[in-house]
This record gives sequence, structure tokens and C-alpha cells, in this order.
Amino acid sequence: MKRALVLCSVLLMMTSVVFADDAGAGAKSLSVHTFTFKYKDADKAAAMIKPLMSSEGSLSMQASTNALVVTDRPENLKAITKALTEFDQPPQPFRIVVRLIGASRSEGRPRVTDEMKDIAPKLGMLGFNSLDDLGSADVTGREGDPGIVTLSSGYRADFKFGEYDPTSDSVQISDFRLSKQQSDQLTPLLKTTLNLRIGQMYIVGATKTPKSPRALMIVLVARK
Amino acid sequence: MMSCQSFRANAESREPEVLEHLRKCDACLEYAVSVDPDHFFRAIGGEELEPPGGVDAFTADVMAQVRLRQAEGSVARRFLIAPRRLAAAAVIVVAIGAGALVYERNDQNVGPTLSRSAPAESRRHVITATKPIVETYQSQGATIVEIPSQGSNDASVVMIFDDSLPADL
Repeated sequence: MKRALVLCSVLLMMTSVVFADDAGAGAKSLSVHTFTFKYKDADKAAAMIKPLMSSEGSLSMQASTNALVVTDRPENLKAITKALTEFDQPPQPFRIVVRLIGASRSEGRPRVTDEMKDIAPKLGMLGFNSLDDLGSADVTGREGDPGIVTLSSGYRADFKFGEYDPTSDSVQISDFRLSKQQSDQLTPLLKTTLNLRIGQMYIVGATKTPKSPRALMIVLVARK
Repeated sequence: MMSCQSFRANAESREPEVLEHLRKCDACLEYAVSVDPDHFFRAIGGEELEPPGGVDAFTADVMAQVRLRQAEGSVARRFLIAPRRLAAAAVIVVAIGAGALVYERNDQNVGPTLSRSAPAESRRHVITATKPIVETYQSQGATIVEIPSQGSNDASVVMIFDDSLPADL
């Protein structure tokens, strides 16, 4: 009987220790970590990890040391650490395939060459049934490098290989400027910044209005 | 009255004289009890006593009481063992629970710095965020429409409707 009482007491003590510890853990469940970056900017890292943070999480930047102080739950910090480890790498090489297509709405028979059969259904849904190949080019570069595409049709694209974002597996194409050689002048057409997921094909169409008879289609694919 | 020497020589006897000496001599009573405890009973006249209801009924009662006490003892022992087993089982359960808790916390422990030698498994991409295709565009007045793709292999289409664009794109 005495032994049973002693055992029960020990059991109660152990249980209270475990539950007290658990309650303490709940009260102080946020952890703080400092990430110092070697290759990338802390402000870009901050923008990248925001979708991974919980509502209780917070971050602050230390510009002088290019560091980021992140406070969050341990499970979120685990995912953030993983993403930042992939992010803070030396500039990675990427290959961008750029293809320009002049799309128009014609009342006659659809005019689509074999090379454009892969995108013709998509553009057909938008009412563009005549497609003209304006040229294509592959550009390879590392993050931060400039990229230039010059096509024989007179179009030229200038851009910068932006940062790779491991959380969305995408690379940014910054300051994509499309121009057209007209007479002796290079006329700027549009300027944009795009996020391209690796391996995904994107068709960026530009036109004046939804009912315009002609549009310029920029087909882009980013590869590692 | 017989002498102490004679009593000790005939201590086993049940003669009236022997019993009378036993009742009167404390030293011989002590001696006789050390030899045979029944002597004490005989000294107080126990031989002539008869329990109420007879010897058989008395014996039966005594035996019934003995069995009852034995049964109570065995039941009590069972109740004594049960809490011990219960306590031991609870200790094992708590120990397993505490172990699991410690294991889980160790698993959640995050290193203080970025690890450059992370295993290949941890380098696998975890796509947890989606970004807009068009991050920025030159004209604020433009309308940008993203047409959702049917799957990861399907081309994504974005249309930019901008009045400031030239007609002969």
C-alpha cells in the first residue's frame, strides 16, 4: 500500500512536470533567428519569406550586416530556413526562351504554321486565328545579368535576369523592355517585370483594347 | 502438597496432586509451560471447560472465522496489487509520452545559421507561394487579365490592354 502511494506520488509529479513544461512551451513558442546573407540582399529575402510567416511572426532588417532577424513559430522558422538556404546561393544560370508572335483576327481561314500549333488553341480562344512568327531567341544568363534579344523582324527585348525565388520556384525577369525598329529609330513599346515559374510557358499578349484586331504575343519559358 | 522436585519428575501426569501443585507454585507453572503450553490451560481448570453449544459447534465457528479472514486477506491483497499495476502502467505511459514530446522538440529544433551542407532531401523545392505573372507594368491605366491555366503543363496567358500602346504592334 505504501509502495503504491509512493508510485502514485511519483506519477503525479512526473505528470505535473510534463504538463507544466508543455504549458511553458505554449507560452514561449516563438523563436528568434538571425540570418546573415552572403550573396543576396536582406530586403529581397524579407519579401520572399513573408508568405511563409505566421500571423504571429515578425522580422527586422539589419542593413549594416545584411542580416534578417526573424521571430516566428519553430515550424515556420524551419520552412523559412530552408527557403533562405536555397535563396542565398551564388547567382544561378537560367535560360530564357523568347518568341514573338503577331496575332490578328481574320474572317477568312485560320492561318497557323506548324511551329505555332502548340499555342494556337490558346490564342484561338481569345479570337486570334491568324498567327505570324516574328522570331525567337534563347538567352542564357545568371541572376543579375542583362539579357538582350534582337530579332530579324525588327523587335528587340532588353531585360535583366532577376532573383530566383525558391518558394514559388520562379525567376524574375526585371525591366523587360520591348522595342521595335522603325525606320532608323528604336520605338519603345512596353516595359514590364515578369515572374516566370521554371518550365512553365507564358503567353503575354499586348494590345490596345480587347476588341483590337491585332495583338503582339510574347511567349516566354524560363529554364534552369 | 507434593514437593517441586516430585512435580517436575511427574509433570506430564494428570494426577490431582500434580495439578494442585501447578496451581499453587509459580516456579513450577513456569517450568511446566516451557515444557508443554497445555499445562497452563490445565492449571486454570481448562480441562473441565466446555464452550457454549458444544465443542463441535465452537470448532465449526472458529473454522468459519478463519476461512472468512483468509478470504478477506486475499481480496485485500488483490486490491493492493491493482494500484501498483495501475501506477506502473501509468508511469510507462507517461514515460513514452515524455519521450515522444522530447523527440518532437528535437525534431523541431532549428539551427542558428544557414546550413550550406544541407542534405539533398532538404534542398527539394517546396512551392508554397504563387506570384503574379506581371509584377509591374509601365502604365497605370492598363488592364491586365490573367487567364488561369488548366494545369502545370498548360500555358498561362496574360493579356495587357493598354490604350497607350501603338496600334501597329
